[in-house]
Amino acid sequence: MLRPVSNLERELVRLLGAQRVLADPDSLLAWECDGFTVHRSRPRAVVQPESTAEVQAVLRLLHAGRVPFVPRGAGTCLSGGPTAGERAVVIDLLRMRQVLAIAADDLYAVVQPGVVNLDLTAAVRHLGLHYAPDPSSQSVCTIGGNLAENSGGPHCLKYGTTADHVLGALVVLPDGRLARLGDPAGPRPPGVPDLPGLFCGSEGTFGIATEITVRLCRDPESVRTLLAAFASMRDACRTVSDIVGRGLVPAALEVLDQSTIRAVEASVYRAGYPAGAAAVLLVELDGPESSTAEELEEVRACAAGHAALRIELASDPAERARLWKGRKGAFGAMGRLATDLYVLDGVVPRTRLEEALARIAAIGERHGVVLNNVFHAGDGNLHPNISFDGRDADQTARAMAAGNEILQVCVDLGGSITGEHGVGSEKLDHIGMMFSPTDLEVMARVRAAFDPDGLCNPGKALPQRAACAEVAKWPQMVARVLGEGEGPA
Amino acid sequence: MTAALEPASADELAALLRNRPGRVRLAGSGSRRDRLPPADGAVEVRLHRLAGIQRLDAGDQTCSVEPGLPRERLDAALAEKDLELPCPGGGTLGGLFAHDPLGAGGPGNVAPRSLLLGLEGVLADGTRFRSGARVVKSVAGFDVHKLLVGSDGRLFAATLLHLRLRPRPPAAAWFRRAGLEVAAACRLFQALRAQPVPPAPLQLRRTADGCAVTGRFAGRAAYVGERLRALELPEHTPDPVDHLAAPAGGEVLAGIVLPSRLPDLLPALAGTFVLRGDGRFELAVASPAAADAALPQLAAHGAHARIAAAAPARRGRGTPLDPGAEHLLARLRRALDPDGVLA
Ligand SMILES: Cc1cc2nc3c(=O)[nH]c(=O)nc-3n(C[C@H](O)[C@H](O)[C@H](O)COP(=O)(O)OP(=O)(O)OC[C@H]3O[C@@H](n4cnc5c(N)ncnc54)[C@H](O)[C@@H]3O)c2cc1C
Repeated sequence: MLRPVSNLERELVRLLGAQRVLADPDSLLAWECDGFTVHRSRPRAVVQPESTAEVQAVLRLLHAGRVPFVPRGAGTCLSGGPTAGERAVVIDLLRMRQVLAIAADDLYAVVQPGVVNLDLTAAVRHLGLHYAPDPSSQSVCTIGGNLAENSGGPHCLKYGTTADHVLGALVVLPDGRLARLGDPAGPRPPGVPDLPGLFCGSEGTFGIATEITVRLCRDPESVRTLLAAFASMRDACRTVSDIVGRGLVPAALEVLDQSTIRAVEASVYRAGYPAGAAAVLLVELDGPESSTAEELEEVRACAAGHAALRIELASDPAERARLWKGRKGAFGAMGRLATDLYVLDGVVPRTRLEEALARIAAIGERHGVVLNNVFHAGDGNLHPNISFDGRDADQTARAMAAGNEILQVCVDLGGSITGEHGVGSEKLDHIGMMFSPTDLEVMARVRAAFDPDGLCNPGKALPQRAACAEVAKWPQMVARVLGEGEGPA
Repeated sequence: MTAALEPASADELAALLRNRPGRVRLAGSGSRRDRLPPADGAVEVRLHRLAGIQRLDAGDQTCSVEPGLPRERLDAALAEKDLELPCPGGGTLGGLFAHDPLGAGGPGNVAPRSLLLGLEGVLADGTRFRSGARVVKSVAGFDVHKLLVGSDGRLFAATLLHLRLRPRPPAAAWFRRAGLEVAAACRLFQALRAQPVPPAPLQLRRTADGCAVTGRFAGRAAYVGERLRALELPEHTPDPVDHLAAPAGGEVLAGIVLPSRLPDLLPALAGTFVLRGDGRFELAVASPAAADAALPQLAAHGAHARIAAAAPARRGRGTPLDPGAEHLLARLRRALDPDGVLA
């Protein structure tokens, strides 16, 4: 039987051609969720524009019909950001993947939103340049998604998150109007507030970025990577404090706990981490040759001062890659422990890491859940991960309860419910831990300035107005096991 | 402008605004008063009595400070802990961020937008709110605090700023190379921006005496010494210029420009000129007519600029703003200050 074709679909086909409009329910399967697979819903249609003008034309059409829409990059988001409700049309930006300009002298590039993070670095590598923000998903995720999530990564400790690298964006507003926020000369002309800074992290709710101007960084003269293994998590955390306390600014400071080490060593991501260690600390230093050599000795002394069981220095790029392999594969390795993995993403002040981890362990024990930690220690950005069987209602409830308490600990210690994965639909019920209804109302006003009709990715990032009072509602959110390959940072 | 009000706390400020005092011009110590467009009939609300350091967490390298805190006082407190706020700028902290004259940040130069982690603030109607967080990383909620940077106090008042800090470098040395032609100065400036750790601050200055490039290398002592030697840069006492003064009858334009445009642009512009490593510049011209002539030239080279120091009626004029961005700004103003209280 022929599927009935709606007027909207007909109009979309008129704008983009039949090849780039998908509305058949079966072909929409791939767009029904992101990396947070608990929230699933098949969109009304998916369109695949190739230019700013096409995005404008589509948004004008949707705006006229008051049809909601959701921008989407690679769909690796871990908080439900690009998942569309049944009434919404997904604007899939993966066909917009051109690097439009590279300015080596002025250190910037202009890219379309569907450019994959790592492809940008590949495009400028011959110039001795790179794009610094490095989410672990960087071989797949897009610059548009990074911008919308203000994504981080291990090297953001020294270099900052996406927002620190975005100079400007050409944005199609939800009514189809264009706004150029910043440009290569800088994110804001004098006397104008930081609009690109505000747009970063808006989780696809302010409009669609169709050209993004990002800062490029020069490759460092030297890179040194060191692994230190410890008999206790306390020693690892204190080493981190010492390194920071000495005034060193490593490019990355990453920690894996014992159960993560064991999972990694039992997997294809085996990196030769000492299986008996309670924690391993990965330290990367970069900069001028003379500086990293001195800093390395200081880091070594810090680790030795906290009774490191083993200190290993990568002597060549292959060894460096091996040391990172375990860290980067940690989530893939954990995926083998159970059918489901709840990837948490909270932040505490770096000085409270030890306390936070002790409290998290106690929560895990109290709820009887399997809990692994792998985290950006230098930023205090924790990723406690709960392995469980999502088919078992009791296990699921315990995982959720533990997760909720862990986020409360982060907030109680002066931190945040999310350091890099965003609120999306996943943490709508947690945002009230950090912000009062009035704070959220002010944010809602700002959002309304971009999208007064509420058509752009509705129901994400902020609880709906009426829902502000429902912040105590229990979250129904679980991240499914991530596929083999890289895991979340 | 009518007499100043001086609230001593965030509560007092909120109460004052709730009482609808009419149009309000927010100020820190008032040092930037002469660089803003006039606010006729507005009450000046000075925040200099909100001047505390509420929290300084040396281990986390963050602090929370009130907006009226003078920069020197924060610097002194940070120096005791071997920390620094790694961006230039003076006056009160609130003024530094709200009037942020700085550009993009750049190689080695951190821009204030990267240092502001969150804030507590008050809307024009007295509503108090928070945005961001105290920790170095958070993506919870929209970053309303980013709107403070460059807002000139026209969107809301900040009552507490959460800032990111950095360790003070173990060694630093200032240098200055003077007597350069424009082309040579531009080449040196770009070469310095390309260093493994570029100097910060870094400035190119053109005066009637020619061009000079000045800056500070910081980092490990070995690196600093080796760079000065390799680049044959003579050490010099620190002499960065924050702002240019307008010559008698003249004006100052402030803006941002891509440094690579300078060799073409600079010879076309008359007057004293200062460019920072982050792309921000100031140009002091002899007359309003010279300022009006400079604006289209700057725009043609991709620069953005506005008249900063001038007769009140001329302040704020500048290169055109993208109409879409202008539309958004107007909407944001209406969203946060529907009655247009903040001038
Ligand atoms: C294995 C794995 C590892 C990860 N590691 C990290 C990590 O290290 N650090 C980290 O921060 N995150 C990490 N993530 C999360 C995720 O990769 C990032 O959030 C990433 O930036 C999303 O990019 P994307 O292209 O997949 O965007 P999507 O998931 O498609 O979309 C993300 C959000 O951006 C919006 N959006 C997309 N494009 C645009 C646009 N052009 N304009 C406006 N809005 C847009 C969408 O509506 C959505 O709300 C990881 C995820 C996985 C699965």
